[in-house]
Amino acid sequence: MSKPADLMQGTLDLLLLKILAIEPQHGWAIGQRLKQLSDNDLQVSDGSLYPALHKLEVSGWIKAEWKNSELGRRAKYYELTRAGRRRLDEETTHWRRVSAAITLVLQLREV
Amino acid sequence: MDWRRLADIVRIRIRALLRRTASDAEARDEIAFHLAMHTQANIRNGMTPSEAEHEARRLLGSPTRIVEDLHDLKALPFVDALWQDLRHALRILKKSPGFAAAAVLTLALGIGANTAIFSILNAVILRPLEYPRAAQLMKIVTVFPGTGDFWVSAPEYLEFKHWTHAFSSVGAYVPFEANLAAQDRPRRVRAMFASGDLFRTLGVNAELGRGWFGADEERPGSARVTILSHELWQSAFGGDHNIVGKTVDVDGVRRTVVGVMPPRFDIADLRAQLWQPLVILPNANRGSHNLSLIGRLANGVTLDGARAETENLLVNWRSMAFDATTLAAGPTPENSLHSPDNKNHRIGIYPLQGRVVGNAVTTVWVLQGAVVLVLLIACANLSTLLLSRAETRRKEFAVRSALGAARGRLLGQAMIEGCVLSTIGAAVGIGVAVAGLRAMLAAYPDVLPRSAGVSIDVTVLVFTALVALSTGVVFGIAPLVHVSGDLNGPLKDSGARAGSGRHSVRRGLVAAEIALAVTLVVGAGLLLRTVNNLSRVDAGFNRANLVTFGVSLPNAPYPNIPDRHTFHQRLTQQLAATPGVLSVALVYGLPPSREIDSNTVTIEGFEGRENGSWNTIDYFQAASAGYVETMGIPVLQGRAFTPSDVAQPVALVNQTMARSIWPGQSPIGRRLRQCCNPAAPWTTIVGVVGDVKQGGVDKTIGTELYFSADRIAPNTMNVVMRTTLTSAALAPAIQRIVHALDATLPVIKLQAMDEVFDDAIARPRLIAQLLIIFATLALVLAAIGTYGVLSYMVSERRREIGIRMTLGATRTAVMRMVVTQGLRTTLVGLVAGIAMTLALDQVLSTLLFGVTPTDPLTLASVVGLIATIAAAACAVPGHAATRLNPIIALREE
Repeated sequence: MSKPADLMQGTLDLLLLKILAIEPQHGWAIGQRLKQLSDNDLQVSDGSLYPALHKLEVSGWIKAEWKNSELGRRAKYYELTRAGRRRLDEETTHWRRVSAAITLVLQLREV
Repeated sequence: MDWRRLADIVRIRIRALLRRTASDAEARDEIAFHLAMHTQANIRNGMTPSEAEHEARRLLGSPTRIVEDLHDLKALPFVDALWQDLRHALRILKKSPGFAAAAVLTLALGIGANTAIFSILNAVILRPLEYPRAAQLMKIVTVFPGTGDFWVSAPEYLEFKHWTHAFSSVGAYVPFEANLAAQDRPRRVRAMFASGDLFRTLGVNAELGRGWFGADEERPGSARVTILSHELWQSAFGGDHNIVGKTVDVDGVRRTVVGVMPPRFDIADLRAQLWQPLVILPNANRGSHNLSLIGRLANGVTLDGARAETENLLVNWRSMAFDATTLAAGPTPENSLHSPDNKNHRIGIYPLQGRVVGNAVTTVWVLQGAVVLVLLIACANLSTLLLSRAETRRKEFAVRSALGAARGRLLGQAMIEGCVLSTIGAAVGIGVAVAGLRAMLAAYPDVLPRSAGVSIDVTVLVFTALVALSTGVVFGIAPLVHVSGDLNGPLKDSGARAGSGRHSVRRGLVAAEIALAVTLVVGAGLLLRTVNNLSRVDAGFNRANLVTFGVSLPNAPYPNIPDRHTFHQRLTQQLAATPGVLSVALVYGLPPSREIDSNTVTIEGFEGRENGSWNTIDYFQAASAGYVETMGIPVLQGRAFTPSDVAQPVALVNQTMARSIWPGQSPIGRRLRQCCNPAAPWTTIVGVVGDVKQGGVDKTIGTELYFSADRIAPNTMNVVMRTTLTSAALAPAIQRIVHALDATLPVIKLQAMDEVFDDAIARPRLIAQLLIIFATLALVLAAIGTYGVLSYMVSERRREIGIRMTLGATRTAVMRMVVTQGLRTTLVGLVAGIAMTLALDQVLSTLLFGVTPTDPLTLASVVGLIATIAAAACAVPGHAATRLNPIIALREE
């Protein structure tokens, strides 16, 4: 694969929620984690990461807190809210169903 | 959605909206952190620091842009723009504090007056009566030709209650006053005899104890009980929580308190303070109509349904009311006619609320109309002010428009400015309303029904908010709509050239202000004349230097006529011996206004009007010897009462009665007696006295029959004293004398007769005073409007005036030019105003007395007044124009 895949609408939200479900993180670390976890296959441009995070915050799925970072500099850490946790479960179920369905379709034999 | 999430969302959005600076700074920090981390990572990967930072920035894009995007994500764009406009408006107003203060003051008075009157309208007319399902409550009355609503007799009440199916229950009451011996001093209280089911009909429970009387308590000679109002319980018994079961002394009788009603509980606006069981005797007189009835419609029954049922009852009432034996004996004239029927003795059913409010409806609506006019004038005034400002701000708008501001946004800006002003005005206005209402209710506590409930409640606040918003939008937009026609014009030239179109709008607004002011001033003038006429009505006696008070002897300690007569004698003698008192007399019904007690008498040799052998007398009066002389009532025929009239039953009649029953003949020596009672003794008429007002100064005088108070000694009498002293100066002596005779008796309503008259015309006085306030406000606003517009015209036409003066126009000519222009506008306003007033004469005429809405004197005075004020308002700018130095005026541009 030459170029990282563009993320489907809504998929980025799911990934961000999942990453934050593991542990609270600041924006930069979230972006790095995303790259690492997907072996660089999934990437999100720096310019669209923050709007996505803020949208989740405005929707009440995640909340933010300013804390000292590993650098000693204050950073904005995001963590899942309880509502966000539920949302993640729902979205995960939904994703599994959709991807299973798509896989099923793609397995059809061409005649 | 769970609550915590909702709270998070709201918090973030509000923060973005209200604390944008902080919220944006945070976003910038977050981006800066990202850049720092990325730069560091790049350096670790072998880049030079400057390369590393450049690369990080390249991948992120413009931080400013991201921060903007992040903000837009959180803030609602519409609210955000609104917020900006709001702050812009406040800045603009802060820059011109004089204008802002004038506008806020104008609006505070306009909106405040509307809030105050609307809170009256709300409490008196709009709000349902304070009972559960109040719409079901009906007043039930008898209706006789010519008398309008009348009371119901006890047998009629019992029959109706028994026969009707349209009403689930019907209660009856009779208001009265009583002496209450409370802890500190005897006091006079408003009281009510109430049937046991009255409270149930109304659906109100007691606050303490019980709020009803049992059937056993309604029988004659039954347990003596009473129910107190919350207010009396508080004021006379200190809110004693153990009051139920204790006894109180009412009219010399010990009564057990069985309950206390909740605060502000009231029946028919009579403001009763205590209730006693209504005792109905089994053989009650059919002709004695003394009950007021309130019925509750059964569920599902409409007013029309109840009326239809009553029509059917009326057809057969007589045959149902009199048993077969009575009818077999042949109907006697008296009893057959004293039964309701479908012709001359009907039953009327009306919604209770309408009967409680009565004709106060017109008063309140007229006042509301007046304050709406004041507000319209205020709006027109502010529009002209804003219009002038808009002229000077044309450039600002044009520049902003050229820089890409949408026209809608400019319109929004103007609206916001208007609304900011009107909101501040409304806030101050509510204060004005509270203060005004407090003063008004203190001066006129009983003038309007239900006025105890007047308050600034949620409905009133919503009304005020709506008024403020619509006011702000209207006067905010009006100037802009006008200016926005040519937004680019101001940029092309210097902007000083005034189009005549703008002037005509402004003149139109001023003419409208004057027209509205004319209407208000005419209204105030007519009411002023009404009050003047009412206070000069000849009531039939000399009201100067008269002092009066009431004294009521309870039946228990004063059971017999001689007991009461002795008391009256001693009271009269001791008062007459007081220094400064010239003469003293007693009367039952105090002129000029008392309750009608219309009843029938049998008159010897008088066949009566076409439908019967009885006759109805409107007022039954009792007066002591010396009353006619003390009051200065003329004796027209025969003689007045003398102390020796104790022995023989004699009577006086007023002129109206003499004329209506014995036209062209002398009534002296004629005899009459109580109706329908052949055993009653005959009373001989010994004199005819002049007519005295009884039902109010504005009412026509009814027939009146005077009995000798020395002979019958009624329990409750009014003392009248001709004196050289004021009521206040006499008060200590009166208190002392009454207290020495009987310490349990309160002195009731000690007043000068002039005060009695003032009370009798309190409502028109209130309307007149309020209208004068509103009219003055309107005049001041209209004068300011005229002055402002003319001043502005003069300053705009400096150049033209300068040229005229250079070319030889005299100062007089310049003055004339300006003043003519102003007066032309005034004339248009005057004509329009008079036309409007004439159109409203139907509404006003019911409030007037002795003057018609088209009264030429009033109209001429108003035209003169307004023309004078307008001339003054024109002369000031006119004078300024003549002071113009033509050289300077021409050099200015």
